[in-house]
Amino acid sequence: MTARRKSPSKPLKKTLPLLILAGPGLLYFLINSYFPMFGVFIAFKDVNYAKGIFGSDWIGFKNFTFLFQTSDAWIMTRNTLLYNLAFIALGTVVSIIIAILMSELLNKLYSKLFMTGLILPNLISMIVLSLLVFAFLNADSGFVNHSILLPLGIPEINWYSEAKYWPYLLVLIQIWKTAGYGSIVYFASIAGIDKSIYESAKIDGAGKLKQIRMITLPLLKPTIIVLVLMSMGRIFNSDFGLFYQVPMNSGALYSTTQTIDTYVYRALMQLNDIGMSAAAGLYQSLVGFALVLTVNAIVKKVNPENALF
Amino acid sequence: MKKKGLGSLLLSMVICGSLLSACGGNSNTSSKNSADTEAKAKVAEIVFALPSFNRIPDDLSKVTNAINAITTEKIGVKVDFRLFGPADYAQKVNLALQSGEKMDVFTTLGQFSNYVSKSQVAPLEELLPEHGKELTAILDKDFGPDILKTTTMDGHIYGIPVNKGMALPTNIIYNADMLAEAGVAADSIQSVEDLPAVFGAVKQKLPDVVPFGPINVNPTDTGLVNWMKGASKVDYLTDTTGVGVVIGDNGKVVNFYESDVFKNGIQMMRDWFEAGYLQKDTATTTITAMEMVSSGRGFSFLGGYSGMEVGKQLSAQVGKNIETKRIAPFYFDTSAVNSVTWMVSSTSKETEAAVKFLNLLYTDKELINTILFGIEGEDYLKVDEHHVKFPEGMDANTVPYTAMLSSGIVGSESLQYQLEGIDWSDVELKLKENKDTARSPYFGFIFDQGQVKTQISAVNNVVSQFLPALVSGSVDPETIIPKFISALKDAGAEAIIDSKQKQLDAWLAAQQQ
Repeated sequence: MTARRKSPSKPLKKTLPLLILAGPGLLYFLINSYFPMFGVFIAFKDVNYAKGIFGSDWIGFKNFTFLFQTSDAWIMTRNTLLYNLAFIALGTVVSIIIAILMSELLNKLYSKLFMTGLILPNLISMIVLSLLVFAFLNADSGFVNHSILLPLGIPEINWYSEAKYWPYLLVLIQIWKTAGYGSIVYFASIAGIDKSIYESAKIDGAGKLKQIRMITLPLLKPTIIVLVLMSMGRIFNSDFGLFYQVPMNSGALYSTTQTIDTYVYRALMQLNDIGMSAAAGLYQSLVGFALVLTVNAIVKKVNPENALF
Repeated sequence: MKKKGLGSLLLSMVICGSLLSACGGNSNTSSKNSADTEAKAKVAEIVFALPSFNRIPDDLSKVTNAINAITTEKIGVKVDFRLFGPADYAQKVNLALQSGEKMDVFTTLGQFSNYVSKSQVAPLEELLPEHGKELTAILDKDFGPDILKTTTMDGHIYGIPVNKGMALPTNIIYNADMLAEAGVAADSIQSVEDLPAVFGAVKQKLPDVVPFGPINVNPTDTGLVNWMKGASKVDYLTDTTGVGVVIGDNGKVVNFYESDVFKNGIQMMRDWFEAGYLQKDTATTTITAMEMVSSGRGFSFLGGYSGMEVGKQLSAQVGKNIETKRIAPFYFDTSAVNSVTWMVSSTSKETEAAVKFLNLLYTDKELINTILFGIEGEDYLKVDEHHVKFPEGMDANTVPYTAMLSSGIVGSESLQYQLEGIDWSDVELKLKENKDTARSPYFGFIFDQGQVKTQISAVNNVVSQFLPALVSGSVDPETIIPKFISALKDAGAEAIIDSKQKQLDAWLAAQQQ
């Protein structure tokens, strides 16, 4: 560190090849992520195409008001936050369990096979998934009503108009879809743990469960924290496909399926107003940014080593 | 494979033929006068986007060339022809408009005030007298002189309505074979009150058939709402929320969802639902009523159609014996006209050429039919002056070019070819009905949403939450309608009603002067 500060020219020579190597990546970020940021000012404009985007009138925070116009504002914020919290918490737990179980599989072939199977749901598009779910749940000929509930003598349920089931259904679907994929990073970190630690623990008489509790989990902690921190930044964004396509955009379910993204989409489909869309996007990004900073600060306070930055 | 070879041979012959004829045309005109060649030298280029309600062909170049042969010859305009499916259309056009990509002539698909309020369309009143004379004359003749009022805001004309059968009375569309099987005479269906008895008979005779098709497929199927509008003279006053409407002619803007008209209509659908005339998942189904009927699982549905020959068209489309009966009149309000309107983009650099092209789109038989049917001999064969048929062994889905279902969107219907078997008098009837059908006293009023757009976006959300379940009868109106109304109030329905009332009063006052 100190050496670099003393003579800046020499390290530049040293790092130049690296800088050139990083060039394309930096350029990509500049063009793809930083230039579009100038677009945020659209959120504060009353866009009029005859005047052009730059010539349109400034209207302050007016574009943001529509987000808080209704009593739905509370419902959709609550839904977005709670679903994402559930996804993060349950998703992490399930992913770690999968990763640990995988790492205990000594047979390489089986382990590869299971891994592939677990990742597969992640590759299915939400549209296809929504049709799969529909095949299970539809009122007239769905599998659940037809082949499970009726034979058991339980009256059929009209899933797509009963809001109360959907919190469980959506969490289940999301975990089913993402947990396998999410376990890869954990699996890789477990694979990176020094095997000799386990061996010495075994010699000391630790069983499998104790090994997991005392060795695997503590050593996974940094990975868990980084991944959770990263998902925290997206806690105000929701997977549009999951909340819009999977419940088939059914109005009766909005009380439990409406998130900020689907609200914005529905509200602006007819209005075609990019000012309001930009406002919603900016709002989500700012809250996400604030959340990452907050959580990181908390982690830093508890254990500075584990903080992201 | 062999067939394909033959097809491409034919095709190349046609191309050669058209090239030759184009050349011939050129040499003729060039000898005419120098002004003509000068116009040719600086051919204006415009982008023309058309929605197609059929398969989008892979290769448009032949039709584009045929269109260009006509337009460069007649008005010195070269057309970049784009074809999009109905679901993509608005999105593609909006994207082009927002990104500043070239997009000159496009249609509204129900978004008139939206485009105008964001200044996305160019005012045409200065160009029409010079370049759109014939166009204006033909609209005057077929609709009466006040038709352009529906596309005029603050004294500017922003769009040209399509000259077609605009009156779309609500029809019950049903499978005639099933009706006969159920032992019901078609003449016994005169109004909506007659339907439950028919449904009952069908259900008893054909227990596997759903008597009444999906009333809601997202986005909301408006069959029931249109029936209520026609039967009770409801004017939605140009926005689609239904929060500010006038019922009848008292000039009072009210919330449609609080009215008895709405409550009674919903109650009717609830009764049908409870009697088992609809599917259980009718509020969320993704299968359209047309698909239900086409697959033989459905008996009937509601739809707005002009003319009397719809049954024949639909029969050909779904492969069943389809008949229709009108059960409610149509009520002309502003959006009935301006929802299918041709507009010129405000970013267009060739507005003059665009208006010239629009003029031709309403008056040139050759252009209209090339756009709709493609190339003669390859995509269609002529039968007589007004009728065409598909080439041997082909149908609407297998011909190379398939925009003919979009006939309601292109120019003047009276210049369009009809498919063989459709009575030509029907086209005349449609035009007559355009003039005769009852008009709302607020015909020509356009609501400026600018002041209340946040409320409208919030209200839209509430409507999409409650309306599908209500119109499909799948929830109890007694408990849900009050919830619906209070949610609308929360979302700012009052502000929309107030703003609309104010604008309507001002408009009415201006009319009396």
